[in-house]
Amino acid sequence: MTNHWVDLKNAKVFLIQGSNAAENHPMAVKWMLEAKKKGAIIIHVDPRYTRTSSIADIHAQIRPGADIAFLNSIINYIITNNLYDEDFVINHTNALLIANEEFDYQDGLFSGYNDGKFSYTNLSWGYTLDEESKPIKAESLDDPRSVFSKAKEFFKRYDFKVASDICGVPEEKIKLIADTLVNNKPGTICYALGMTQHTTGVQGIRSFGILQMLLGNLGKPGSGVNAMRGEPNVQGATDMAMLFHIIPGYLAVPNHDVVDLDTWTSRTGTFRRTFMTSILKAWFGDHAQPENDFCFNWLPKKNGRENYSLFRIFETALDKKMKFLYIMGQNPMVTNPNLNLVHESLGNLDMLVSVDLFMTETAAFWEKPGVDPSTLDTEVIFLPAASFLEKEGTLVNSGRMVQWRYTGIKPVGNSKTDLEIIDLLFNRIRELYQGSSDSKDEPILKANWNYEAEDSPSFSEEVLKEINGYNLATGELLKGIGELKPDGTTAAGNWLYAGIFANNQNHSKRKDNINDPGGLGIYPGFAWTWPGNCHVLYNRASCDAEGKPYDEANKCIWWDEEKGMWTGYDTPDVPNRNDGPDTPNGKRPFRMAGEGLARILAGPYQDPFANQLLPRDSSSVPADGPLPEHYEPFESPTENVLHPNVPVNPCVKYPRIPDKQPIGTAADYPYVLCTSSMAEHWCAGTQTRNMPWLNELQPETFIEIPKNLAAEKGIKNGDWVKVWSARGEVEAKAQVTHRIHPLKINGKEVDVVWMPYNWGYKGLSQAASTNYVTIDAGDPNTWIQETKCCLVNLDKA
Amino acid sequence: MKRRDFLKLTGVTGAGLLLTDLGFNAAPVEAASQTIRIHNSEEFYSVCTFCSCGCGMICSVKDGKMINLEGDPDHIVSEGALCSKGAAMAVMPNSDQRIRNPLYRAPRSNKWEEISWEEAIDKVARKFVETRDDYWISDETIDGTTYKVNRCDAVSFMGGAQNNTEESYLLSKMSRILGAVYVEHQARV
Repeated sequence: MTNHWVDLKNAKVFLIQGSNAAENHPMAVKWMLEAKKKGAIIIHVDPRYTRTSSIADIHAQIRPGADIAFLNSIINYIITNNLYDEDFVINHTNALLIANEEFDYQDGLFSGYNDGKFSYTNLSWGYTLDEESKPIKAESLDDPRSVFSKAKEFFKRYDFKVASDICGVPEEKIKLIADTLVNNKPGTICYALGMTQHTTGVQGIRSFGILQMLLGNLGKPGSGVNAMRGEPNVQGATDMAMLFHIIPGYLAVPNHDVVDLDTWTSRTGTFRRTFMTSILKAWFGDHAQPENDFCFNWLPKKNGRENYSLFRIFETALDKKMKFLYIMGQNPMVTNPNLNLVHESLGNLDMLVSVDLFMTETAAFWEKPGVDPSTLDTEVIFLPAASFLEKEGTLVNSGRMVQWRYTGIKPVGNSKTDLEIIDLLFNRIRELYQGSSDSKDEPILKANWNYEAEDSPSFSEEVLKEINGYNLATGELLKGIGELKPDGTTAAGNWLYAGIFANNQNHSKRKDNINDPGGLGIYPGFAWTWPGNCHVLYNRASCDAEGKPYDEANKCIWWDEEKGMWTGYDTPDVPNRNDGPDTPNGKRPFRMAGEGLARILAGPYQDPFANQLLPRDSSSVPADGPLPEHYEPFESPTENVLHPNVPVNPCVKYPRIPDKQPIGTAADYPYVLCTSSMAEHWCAGTQTRNMPWLNELQPETFIEIPKNLAAEKGIKNGDWVKVWSARGEVEAKAQVTHRIHPLKINGKEVDVVWMPYNWGYKGLSQAASTNYVTIDAGDPNTWIQETKCCLVNLDKA
Repeated sequence: MKRRDFLKLTGVTGAGLLLTDLGFNAAPVEAASQTIRIHNSEEFYSVCTFCSCGCGMICSVKDGKMINLEGDPDHIVSEGALCSKGAAMAVMPNSDQRIRNPLYRAPRSNKWEEISWEEAIDKVARKFVETRDDYWISDETIDGTTYKVNRCDAVSFMGGAQNNTEESYLLSKMSRILGAVYVEHQARV
């Protein structure tokens, strides 16, 4: 989230899209209702009328996979009718910068498309640069060369009629939503997996970003683009880089051709080099020295042309290249799409290690009903873990707030905490390598890994201190990101957490719920929020060019001329608090991007502030285009009316394994299936399906079928229904519903059905896993699968 | 007085009650509260382990057993509320479904066997080392140029969205030091 949960009370309008917050993020709705008491308006855009819709003032039923067309038509309306926040757009976005003259798009493709390679060469998406390699600024937004004019031209194709035909929301309702967003500020956007589980997931969020840039809804209380994250500590695990492409603190894993630290710096920037040397010091201690490039080459390097996402873990197992899989608290035999492929892969591993609380469908894949275990060679080890109530440590909520969890009970039976298990495993592996002189074993033998703590609280704090980081000369814990050094004199496991243990105090334990300066719900003394206890990211953008709040009644931070510093109710999100609004640092509200600005056109750019070989910052660029374009889902009930020749995202290579990843067509599979979670069960259900109370509330899986379709098929409430796709088949009980109605899409009627995905064949409550049916085509940036829309057929069982 | 202390005094543990003034003698109320379930228990704070709202929880322990779990009224986000999932978590440490010892399933076997932690960790470590050694990629040639890459593509690590941040960090650190690139978790799905 750019903002945080309590901040929702400051909004005047909510656009909830791709989320059933009332069930899946109940506290979001609690704070939305607080805002509603003061007159805020709630808009809910979703394929179903859900518990969230019931608190909304406006509900729009949308076809799954058509969000970009809907959003782009609102963007077009705002630009065409000059309804944007001009001061914000000019000062805080790249609207005025002159685009590269080669930039172009036609028939669904942007300039630079590499035919047959599912990729772009993105140089033409950048700017026209001056002799210092800085972008040239236009005089006005009307300059046809400006980013703004390029965007205006691009979005022009999305009028309300076009959008309505694609997404199924009536034209007048889209206009009502657009006007409501324009006339009520600040406004916030809240989304969840309903937006990200698509082959166009990232570009949907880009549409959100551009919409908020135009409305000036960034960096202010009650504004923002707020991802309501799906798991309790998915934020913490992502910060700590349980993802193939990064190491802790969102630092890029080096590709094969990144031969040294300077090459890495030339691609990512000197700003991040400080964090990289600090993490290398944390991992390799005294062995990491300037003379040996801080052991940079001890990090594994990925083949830059390959993808290492969890989908590939299973796919490489199909041809027996993957041998060993260690899983800590995840159950892919329920949560991954296309489960038949996953099951076959698990049987191809040499060893599967599952660390969990309860028996999972993954660990017990060989016990799947109908499977003969004597045909499965995989050795499986199940390690029982302590639950969150039986250990101490932090978790990070969606608003980046890091909170400490205490314990007062011992781990159940002989279970152990994951910290202890990881430590035991690493030490045993290191023992086995003792005496080796092979250079490949050097990082293991010389790793900085000597944890002393025995019990859970002190072990977690010891690790949290390593993450916070130390000044190696004084031995003191770092007080903030500003103390990190690039020269190897500081060690820190994750730069974003620098300061959480300042002054040897565990700030995640703080509980001050009284002091709330400005009444914004920030509570700076409650737990600790990264980065640097900053609650509203990009809050510099809440002020104008002079550093004065745009809205005195809703101010957050500001420039204090007398004191010569940025100050306010929140930690100012600026590179240096003493650099005024007229300095380069004072004009970088979006400081993680090279431009320091919010980017309507997201092309490549490196800030040459340090020098051209080692720039300060590098901007990230979406793989599939600098502006969000509508593409149909991989399984779609309709054609792409914008560009029939490029119907789907041209950067997605799918199927990757043709005989395991068939694509169904509307002729055989006429209905759109959308899947998600519910209030009573969570994710794979490994925990919730072992909680008797929850099983009483939701005892079994089901399928929501619109009334008209149920009548057509002769299906009544409670009937067993067979649902099948090109990949698999499941059975579930019917829930005939009034809450989904057929949509008019490009002149034809389309029916949408919905299923939860939380069941499997283990636990106290057992039922079919919906994910046998779903598709594993994924977004080309995130590789998140398209579980929000695939095509199915169904009949009474 | 914090809201929580007030509630304890009145013996009311449910959320949603807002009294500004007791208006009666607290002593008998306090006496009556002695009979409530969490009397004489030790308390600890936790944070819910579903979605990402991060709701505050108060857990009560008596004789080493968790006997109650409720929302923390002093928490800035949840203010004492918990959803159906969070409220059901009291079962977690008391569930007889929890696995209590390491288990081993041999190739082609149709059953689990209980094994010791020492044996379990040793089996995992040995298989890992054997796999890493057999499939280590020291150099890789791409477009005619040979690069030092130091990795193993036959091993993979997964998980973290349910674990504490420190645990994710340590698994992330370990897997990279061991040379793995296949390091992933639920954020991807």
